[in-house]
Amino acid sequence: MEYILKNGVVFDPKNDIDGEQMDIFIKDNVIVDKVSSKAKKLDVSGKLVMPGGVDLHSHIAGPKLSIGRLYRPEDIRKGIKPASKNDISGFEAGFSLPTCPTIGYRYTKMGYTTVTEAAVPPLEAKHAHEEINSIPNLDIPTLTLFGNNWFMLKYVKEKRFDDLKVFISKWLKLAKGYGIKIVNPCGSEAWGWGKNVDGLDDPEPHWGVTGREVIQALTEVNEKLGLPHSVHVHTNDLGHPGNYATTLETFDCVKHIKKNENVDRNQIMHCTHVQFHAYKGTSWRDVSSGASELIDYINKNDHLTCDVGQITFDETTTMTADAPMEYDLFRLTGLKWANKDIEVETASGLIPSIYSSHAPVSVLQWAVGLEFFMGVKDPWKIVLTTDSPNGGPFIRYPRIISWLMSQEKLQDMLDNEVHNWATNRTDLGTYDREYSWNEIATITRAGPAKILGLTDRGHLGVGAKADVSVYDIDVDKFDCTLKSNSETLENKLLNSKYTIKDGEILVKDGNIVKLVNSNHIWCNVLGLENEEKVLIDRIKPEFNKYYTIKYENYGVNDHYIQPDTRMDVNYGGEL
Amino acid sequence: MKVINLVMTKKSSISLEFDNILPELLFDKSLRQINETIIYRGNKEEPLSHYFDVSIEGECDDAKECAIVIDGDLSRVKRIGFAMTCGKIIANSDVDFHVGACMSGGHIIVNGDAESYAGREMTGGLLEIKGSVKEFCGSSYAGEWRGMSGGQIIVHKNAGKQLAEYMIGGNIHIKGDCDILAGVHMSGGKIQIDGNVNQWFGGQMKKGTIIINGNVEKMLPGFVLEESIYHPLINGKQFIGKYGLYSGDKTVKGKGRIWIKK
Amino acid sequence: MIEKPITDYDEEVRNCSCSYCGNNCDDITYLLKDKKIVGVRHACRIGASKIINDQDQRLLNPLVRNDEGILEETTWDVALDKTARLLYESDRPVLYGWGETSVEAIKKGIKIAEKTGAVMDNQSTICHGSSIQAFQNVGHPVMTLGEVKNRADVVVYVGTNPMDDHPRHLSRYTTFPEGFFRKNGRKDRTVITLDPKYTNTAKVSDEWIQFNMNEDYLLFDALRMLLKGESLDEEEIAGVPTSQLENLIQIMKNAEYGALFFGLGVSQTLGKQKNVDMLIQLVEDLNRYSKWSMLPMRGFFNVSGFNIALTSETGYPYGVDFSRGYPRFMVGETTTIDLLNRREPDFFMAISADPGVQFPGYTIKHLINIPTIQIDTHWGPYTELADIVLPSTRVGVETEGTAYRMDSIPLFMKKVIDKPENCHSDEWILTQLYERIEILKQEEDN
Repeated sequence: MEYILKNGVVFDPKNDIDGEQMDIFIKDNVIVDKVSSKAKKLDVSGKLVMPGGVDLHSHIAGPKLSIGRLYRPEDIRKGIKPASKNDISGFEAGFSLPTCPTIGYRYTKMGYTTVTEAAVPPLEAKHAHEEINSIPNLDIPTLTLFGNNWFMLKYVKEKRFDDLKVFISKWLKLAKGYGIKIVNPCGSEAWGWGKNVDGLDDPEPHWGVTGREVIQALTEVNEKLGLPHSVHVHTNDLGHPGNYATTLETFDCVKHIKKNENVDRNQIMHCTHVQFHAYKGTSWRDVSSGASELIDYINKNDHLTCDVGQITFDETTTMTADAPMEYDLFRLTGLKWANKDIEVETASGLIPSIYSSHAPVSVLQWAVGLEFFMGVKDPWKIVLTTDSPNGGPFIRYPRIISWLMSQEKLQDMLDNEVHNWATNRTDLGTYDREYSWNEIATITRAGPAKILGLTDRGHLGVGAKADVSVYDIDVDKFDCTLKSNSETLENKLLNSKYTIKDGEILVKDGNIVKLVNSNHIWCNVLGLENEEKVLIDRIKPEFNKYYTIKYENYGVNDHYIQPDTRMDVNYGGEL
Repeated sequence: MKVINLVMTKKSSISLEFDNILPELLFDKSLRQINETIIYRGNKEEPLSHYFDVSIEGECDDAKECAIVIDGDLSRVKRIGFAMTCGKIIANSDVDFHVGACMSGGHIIVNGDAESYAGREMTGGLLEIKGSVKEFCGSSYAGEWRGMSGGQIIVHKNAGKQLAEYMIGGNIHIKGDCDILAGVHMSGGKIQIDGNVNQWFGGQMKKGTIIINGNVEKMLPGFVLEESIYHPLINGKQFIGKYGLYSGDKTVKGKGRIWIKK
Repeated sequence: MIEKPITDYDEEVRNCSCSYCGNNCDDITYLLKDKKIVGVRHACRIGASKIINDQDQRLLNPLVRNDEGILEETTWDVALDKTARLLYESDRPVLYGWGETSVEAIKKGIKIAEKTGAVMDNQSTICHGSSIQAFQNVGHPVMTLGEVKNRADVVVYVGTNPMDDHPRHLSRYTTFPEGFFRKNGRKDRTVITLDPKYTNTAKVSDEWIQFNMNEDYLLFDALRMLLKGESLDEEEIAGVPTSQLENLIQIMKNAEYGALFFGLGVSQTLGKQKNVDMLIQLVEDLNRYSKWSMLPMRGFFNVSGFNIALTSETGYPYGVDFSRGYPRFMVGETTTIDLLNRREPDFFMAISADPGVQFPGYTIKHLINIPTIQIDTHWGPYTELADIVLPSTRVGVETEGTAYRMDSIPLFMKKVIDKPENCHSDEWILTQLYERIEILKQEEDN
């Protein structure tokens, strides 16, 4: 099938196209420079055209979501919407914990085509991939949790970094994972005994290994393997006043590590939801923003990128492999607490969270997130996320964009809506930045694609994947800086005019018109097969002793990942 | 004042769902429109007229002035007055699940018994049940920790298990007896029970008031007798007789108050 | 009695996943001779007998009840067409069972339920549904079984008897095996059983605490009081001397890693979900002092998988009513037993479950008056009620598929031997039904 998107106003930061009125040509599943006369014309004159949205950190599939849905029927009830009349998309259910099909519908309608599931324990990876099969319309890479894995801890403790490299290479194949995720390294293992670690250099009680050692070792391995994405780090001490110092140390602890030469990305570490890691003070009473120091570091250094984890003012659900932090929240709020410890690998926790614009702490968190958006100068280093659903559900991205594009709106919120901690305890009030569409396209498309190492998307150059979103926004006429336009802007971004993925129209005028199976994106390292076999033969007895399922039944069978995109990575050997 | 009379002409063993039969939705509708109003029966949608004869008396401009009177055997009619905001509904029969649940205003009178979930998560209005109610009256729906928050429920006979679970506000008056776990997880509001109360009432109670005029089984260990008072004034109302005031539940460091007539 | 080891076999298939209980032991070896299973290694007796399973009770052909009330053999087309039409034309259909089939089949079932406005429910409705209600109210602190094997020094069983019902639970997961931090296995652990009855589990425990039936709520409430440092005035609570409870709470509080397992003895006695509610809060409180987690002892090998698949697709774990097109979940209203007791359903299909065994008599009576369909492998009491019988295959033996262990670890179960010729997998049968229902819908739309 061929399409011409006629006369849209195109924002494609990677190719330096900044609001140019032009045609986009699609043939089959790629962007081309010309099409035949049979191509179908879609008139999008003057409308906003961007590459398909790319989310590099969201929680959409796997055990945490299942537990969340199971124990929060009151959240499911909130998002009930009967099926559309066209008989294509079914009912929707859930607000912060949407059902699998609902996740696909809502992301597609927002113009997103790639969404990363940010935390999958290998033991339950089948579950995550099975759920992905129930989410329609997206490309989904999954990040595999390694930051508290016993084999990893052992190799780091014994400084067997070659074994670690082979282990990671093999485990990504077993979990059909895309990249390395580190969550509260050593802390979630300490939670096995109801404990946590305090900062980057506090050794885990049994293994004697620190977060710093884990992050450094896994970053080295990541670069040796040359994985398309860097390590993806949720640093220690999430949500604790005073944690900005740990975050700063974490930023700096990998600076000396050399980036693999064959990768497209610039960073060697991606720090996720930095908003939750940027607090000064000693308690929630004297807490203040630590964003400035972190922003300053990010502005001065090029080896790291971040996403925000913006708070929206909603009743949502927090979920993370940082289980000790969730228990802290339980102690703080008394709301119903869920926890799941996963043998040999990780832990996870959940709790409902109510962020209110009148609650000082919520407002501080909200303002800290916005400080990052305002303060980080290079939009390629920062990505729009809410750590969905932790800061708020992903359907709030358009609302956040409406804040970023209008100082008038933001100022009005500061003056009239939110608690005064936003102005008293953060520097948010000192900024007067307003995002342009080009910058929005960078933080929601081009940037995350580059950071993930997915070079075929996030842009509309010839040869790119034909993932395009068009919104019913007349770029030249519609003034996004006006407060009075915020709500309209949000609604238009929530309901795209067209969402095109792989050259197929999935959304038209805010309605889903086609459902396709989601694509599992995973990384396959070539060149270490023999070493992997030797390693497995060696560790299998240990595996079968400490896991409760057999090694032979552990990996994700191929039929769980149909269709898939296997990203082959050629291991280049030691440099 | 406008009165919409519904008289059941045919009973269905599969429950009918009455969410659309509310004063605010029908007060300005013609007889034909009311006849055509959709009710739900299993997986089918049917017009009201398949099961009810409809007649209208009087006129009104405001839903508050509208009353719906329902006659017939309504023991298989669910969701009467569900999410009602104003006006009046009188059901001259036993009724099925969810009567007055999520209602925020208006007045419902049930001249009979109610199935479970009566007045669940109610925020305002008055729900009066002349017979008994089954389980979860005035409670929260699954998973929700904020149950009934306002309004009033009066039950002239008995209440089933888990009355007012997770209640955070409003008033409930049970004139008869009450089954196990009344006011469990309660954190606000007031329950008065005139009859006997089965065990484990007030479990995990954080705040709120329960007044019991009948006999009780043994109390949970997390409640302590604070004092005994003659003719106490409770929430602005005087009660006659000697009452013991208990506080608890200690298992949740609760400050709930239970008054029990000696 | 010592059984002789089986030596007469010509093929071994290792690492098979057992299709009996929620333990889902995946270390089972099937011994085959001439492509038939003649022996099973590593499985418990119940599991082994289920896997070997003689064929004389097997349903081998589709059956339809004739005008004389006799089940007679028919073709798949006739049986499927008839089932599809009955389901399509019904007003209050219920699709029940699912505990012993694959997630793949369950997902097809959910699609059918959505399409036909049916109620989709499983055995949770009569087992741990009340536990799920409690999880929904106060929280869900759980773990995978390997955490218990590797870390637990205290294991508590409440109202459950795994030695008889989940025979390898103690030997494979919780008590006897060597764990990473428990090198001496059983010796490194304290096992306590709380049960009104002296069970085989109590027998192998270090301590058996007997409490009064139907006083679970009070018992756990008292334990929470003690944990918070409150004293109890009574000398005995729920039939247990207070000193024994004080001792128990000290052991629990001082555990390095504690694991609590509970069964229907807690979730189906007086107070039901509130008993579990209290137990969960006890575990939550214990985490202030130590590390504790808990798990319900799920029965069939895929009841947990059903809850997971249904929440993935609809948001709710069981008893999901699609009559209005979107999912609704209301215990007592949209759950199978209650619907049948109210005489509402006008169509009932049981998939890999036998309501004839599982349901109370009063409930079953309604099944006589309405069309009843059975999708199952074996003849059972429900076959005697069924109007149409669709013979299916055994997951993990004749058909592959996904199941979730009681701790929600997914396992892919193998196909090892061929199915009986005229039987089909649940997934195949349900796919056929779905397609036929779609055609009926299209015909009506035109």
